[in-house]
Amino acid sequence: MSRGHHAEKATGKGDPQCFRGEAPQPKFKVGDRVRIRDLPDIFYTRCQVYTRGAEGVVAVVTHESPAPEDEAWDNVDAPEWFYIVRFKQKELWSEYPDVYANDTLQTEFSERWLEPV
Amino acid sequence: MAEKHKPAPMVDEVSDFEVLEVAVRELAIEKGLFSAEDHRRFAEFAHSIGPLPAARLVAKSWLDPEFKKLALEDGFTASKEVGIDWLNPTGFGTPSDYCDLRVLENTPSVHNVVVCTLCSCYPRPILGHSPEWYRTPNYRRRLVRWPRQVLSEFGLQIPADVEVRVEDSNQKCRFMVMPMRPEGTEDWSEDQLTEIVTRDCMLGVALPHPDRKADDKRPVHKAANPVHGH
Repeated sequence: MSRGHHAEKATGKGDPQCFRGEAPQPKFKVGDRVRIRDLPDIFYTRCQVYTRGAEGVVAVVTHESPAPEDEAWDNVDAPEWFYIVRFKQKELWSEYPDVYANDTLQTEFSERWLEPV
Repeated sequence: MAEKHKPAPMVDEVSDFEVLEVAVRELAIEKGLFSAEDHRRFAEFAHSIGPLPAARLVAKSWLDPEFKKLALEDGFTASKEVGIDWLNPTGFGTPSDYCDLRVLENTPSVHNVVVCTLCSCYPRPILGHSPEWYRTPNYRRRLVRWPRQVLSEFGLQIPADVEVRVEDSNQKCRFMVMPMRPEGTEDWSEDQLTEIVTRDCMLGVALPHPDRKADDKRPVHKAANPVHGH
């Protein structure tokens, strides 16, 4: 594999588009309730600590890509689906004021971080 | 005494990432991957990209429901119609960012605002370089937890019955906000509408206003103690 393989693969397609069709079927769909797993992250991760253990709803099934925890180490062999999950702010921050109970936060996870509720 | 009155340093400490950037850049120049002149041209180009194409995307969406549908479903394709090809945004042959643009629509019941708690992910090809505050730990740490307070600091009060929806941009999607078309802009042309969609409106920390344009003249304050003879 050449050192520039990321750029070569993405040329003319874009990243993450260049991984289209490489992941197994998505396990979750829009509207599914999910919980964020608390996996070990002693090396690289993009899963924020404030989301660990929180429950939310899948808002968008976005794209396929290697998980950043793999891609950071140049392992691009096992792309997975990514999901934007919507949380109630109160679910993330217990002190969030009740008067703003409708407020939400969305962020994105690779499939390994989600478990069904 | 002299110690006590030591002036504060003119420049704050340089971050590890800045040191890393300089090191990698110098190595690349030494290896001949690009020249210092190439780097300067690229930096100049990158700094010159304004939020104008994104503003046009919003204005077009306000006027054309079909285009709006496209923008919300496929930001990548919609960008091309306002002159931005995410695959080749620089013209230098470098795709400089991830290419999955998502446009977040504000509605009477939802107000979107964008942050990246991890670093400073930003839709640069269509919005240009991120503002300095967007990259500060202050904004990144606080917006996710105290969004209404932080928006208030920008002078934006969102009514309690409107859902404030924070988008923490942490992966390969890039986000921009499509604000609502303000009242008082009926019969406006696409060019006129484009002028009032400023950068901050597309990050969600401001709302467009018919009297406020991106290229408004800045107020000039006269010096209180002018230096004579200069």
